[in-house]
Amino acid sequence: MKDRNQMLNRSGTDRRGFLAAMAASGAAVSGLDIRAALGSQAALLSNKPRACILLWMQGGPSQFETLSPKPGQSSGGETQAIASSVAGIQVAENMPRVAAAMKDICLIRSMNSKEGSHPRASYLVHTGYVPTATIKYPTIGSQIAFQLGDKESQLPSFVRVGQIRNGAGAGMLGVDYDPFLMADARRTPDNTTLTTSDDRYRRRLSLLGQLHDVHAEGEQQVSNHRKVYGKASKMVLSPQMKAFDLSEETASIRQSYGESSFASGCLLARRLVETGVSCVEVAVGNWDTHQDNFSRSSELCQQMDQPYAFLLQDLKQRGLLESTLVVWMGEFGRTPRINSRGGRDHYPRAYNVALAGAGVHGGQVIGTTDASGSTVTDQPVDVPDLLRTIFQALRVDADLEHMSSVGRPVPVVEGGSVVERVFTG
Amino acid sequence: MHSLCRSAGALFLLVLTSLFFTDSLAAQTPQQTALQVDQLLAEETGSAPAASASDEVFLRRAFLDLVGQLPTSEEVLAFSLDPGTGKRVRLVQQLLDDDDFGRNWGRYWRDVIMYRRTDDRAGLAQGSLESFLVEQLNNDTSWSSIARQLITAAGDVREDGRNGLIMAQGGRPEETVAEVSRIFLGIQIQCAQCHDHPFDRWTREQFHQLAAFFPRVAVRPQMTPVRSFIVVASDTPPRQRRQNNNNRFVGSLEHYMPDLDDPTAQGTLMQPEFFATGQTLQTGSSDAARRESLADWMTDPENPWFARALVNRVWSELVGEGFYEPVDDIGPDRQCSAAKTMALLCDQLVVNDYDLKWLIETILSTRVYQSAAADRRAPDELPFQANYAQRLRADQLFNSLLCVFDIPDPTPQRAAANYGRASRSTPRALFQRTFGYDPSTRRDEVGGSIPQALAMMNSSFVNQQISARPGRLLGDLMAEVRSDRQLVEELYIKVLSRQPSREELKLCLDYRRSVPDRAEAFEDILWALINHADFIYRN
Repeated sequence: MKDRNQMLNRSGTDRRGFLAAMAASGAAVSGLDIRAALGSQAALLSNKPRACILLWMQGGPSQFETLSPKPGQSSGGETQAIASSVAGIQVAENMPRVAAAMKDICLIRSMNSKEGSHPRASYLVHTGYVPTATIKYPTIGSQIAFQLGDKESQLPSFVRVGQIRNGAGAGMLGVDYDPFLMADARRTPDNTTLTTSDDRYRRRLSLLGQLHDVHAEGEQQVSNHRKVYGKASKMVLSPQMKAFDLSEETASIRQSYGESSFASGCLLARRLVETGVSCVEVAVGNWDTHQDNFSRSSELCQQMDQPYAFLLQDLKQRGLLESTLVVWMGEFGRTPRINSRGGRDHYPRAYNVALAGAGVHGGQVIGTTDASGSTVTDQPVDVPDLLRTIFQALRVDADLEHMSSVGRPVPVVEGGSVVERVFTG
Repeated sequence: MHSLCRSAGALFLLVLTSLFFTDSLAAQTPQQTALQVDQLLAEETGSAPAASASDEVFLRRAFLDLVGQLPTSEEVLAFSLDPGTGKRVRLVQQLLDDDDFGRNWGRYWRDVIMYRRTDDRAGLAQGSLESFLVEQLNNDTSWSSIARQLITAAGDVREDGRNGLIMAQGGRPEETVAEVSRIFLGIQIQCAQCHDHPFDRWTREQFHQLAAFFPRVAVRPQMTPVRSFIVVASDTPPRQRRQNNNNRFVGSLEHYMPDLDDPTAQGTLMQPEFFATGQTLQTGSSDAARRESLADWMTDPENPWFARALVNRVWSELVGEGFYEPVDDIGPDRQCSAAKTMALLCDQLVVNDYDLKWLIETILSTRVYQSAAADRRAPDELPFQANYAQRLRADQLFNSLLCVFDIPDPTPQRAAANYGRASRSTPRALFQRTFGYDPSTRRDEVGGSIPQALAMMNSSFVNQQISARPGRLLGDLMAEVRSDRQLVEELYIKVLSRQPSREELKLCLDYRRSVPDRAEAFEDILWALINHADFIYRN
């Protein structure tokens, strides 16, 4: 069982090199369902590694107060709509800067699932599966790190910023692909600041290495231990750790992102992707507006609108948007009905996700709902469809199978199909 | 019972024979059974365990395995100087009587249950579950009684730890019975939840018949100032309610197997039936009848899987390799690497009324447990030739640091009693988040991670504690012990529970000489020992 697992792992980790070779030769490979996953020929020629920034709207944002306002409908409440930079697409007044950036954004207004409890829904949209006790399904970022991550990189391939609940981890892929957690983008990551001088730290490492050298027992465990310590030390001593230091940015860039903690998270995400990190997930919330939905949504949008919009602009200016997918999503939307406390409750039947970059055709809307926003009426997109589309944009093979601990092959995404229009417009 | 047959037909015979003989079997002491295990294992597998572990290795291993912490320097010295025969037996018995035994194993079982939770809010039940398990284990409650209490529980999950298993699965019948079967029987019947299992005998129908023991159970949020959940069970028909986002706040009277072709249909009504013995209940039975019957049938010696699951798991935890692997995937279609030995242990466990301490003492008395540590064997090598090194669980590692630094557990008592949000930010809980792992994972698949290495190397907690300031371990030792050589030895005993080898001593003394400042040199040496593989593993 273990051998099979390793074999599958190998096919996954070699993918990066394989892709590069394919891109160079333009060769077609038969027998593997890989061409479908690779997408257009044009993208093959771009040799920039793909990356993903996942903006996680924790708690389930109201679609009515963000990307799908329904002014004039009883479901719409007091929220007004404003025009965006794309004719015919309106968003809520709470998001003026995102409205201006709409040319780069593909808005999916027909997301739907059955799961309306936070833990299950968060897990579902992060993994494509509902939670079970037997199989620990890997989260999006871990799947990306597994297939795209640079093994030789001195930084982790997947970084998570903020407390994300029920977002799952690497699960069956193993700790190598677990998210590297940061509570707050404004502080250096935990335990990466040396408590001694560089010199003394190196001396300590060298003493430890010598003690391990003369150690007779348990060679396997000692060599594994040394490997992990080697990677960890390389990381803290790496010049690339500067990527975590936001003070290196100019005041004008920092202002452009804004003041909020989420703004720092977005800026950090850009810096990490620039340095070669494959996936950064940044959380903002709590969007669980059972009470005072309108004022709370508006406050949250103030923290989110500017950094999100400027992140797209900043990536574009640096030539990174064509290889970086920016996903905006939460675990579900909120009810068309406004409850007695001026709040909206959980609603998974019709909600929104926004995609940009990495070949996504911006300035378009996918899917429609009825006038009140209660039911999807056209082009429904289910969670597996969304995940397939995300992985397609990133050139991550969604049909790759991993072996669970009880010997069951588990595909990256089970079922679903790519929403092709996301790429073609 | 002298042979274990694994074919389906013979299983029935086996049950009969074991029934017949169980009554006539005399209860043996752990040492008697251990001797038989040694002989039988050698016969059955042809393996000859490596040489016995040294007293130093055995002492540290037994401390970590039984009470989840390190011996003190005094205990290390006293044990190595004790010339008496039978000192290992005495040590094991003494540690089994220690309250930290229940603490250590209670935390182990808490992790077994909680690492598979499908709902993070079950974190609220973690503290009460631990307290419940600790108390039961220290009171020598039999494993069958513990299982029964976890299966039949109801009430507030923060106040009554018995609700922990059901809460971990949000009270959903399918998930709950899957865990009940995995933990107590070692059988992963839930693979048959959606389709008949490709290489198992269990059918989808049997899985849903098992779920039919739990339809009346649900988990409801408690609308009290302190956030909590309550496990409820009701025998009255639930009020008609609107679709509630797939939450399960109330149960239903019966369980229905979903129709795969039409997920919106009600599905097929399921009669409760226990797949391992074929015992059934009528539909319409009360919740109490359902869950009590399941507990009865599962823990009855007629059902061999209950004892096998426990023997396999505890053996694997202590020896580093199970009879079946992974520990929670046994069953009639799995290969047992030493079936006769397993049968012997199970028979005696039943006679000893599923006494966990009896089982642990027996395993600790075997030659394979007491053999020297080695790397995990290759698949083509014989099983059970050595005791495999294992990474410490988060609690064992945290306790070990407390032992080395001679500091009390910084978990505030208030948080321990109130185990809500507060306990999640205690140093132990933070440590658990970085170092914890699912104890049902095969141990050679549990590796270290970068955040773990960073925490051991660079955390302020470790670096403050290794400081040579007065009042800290090193500061006090340095004032007391003037000889560098003796100080190195003291540190080795304190941290690794052993003397340094000649080369190690030389390396440390050379290092000491290369650094002008004595305090700085020894801080570095202590740092290196804390970060040594021998500290993070149990050999």
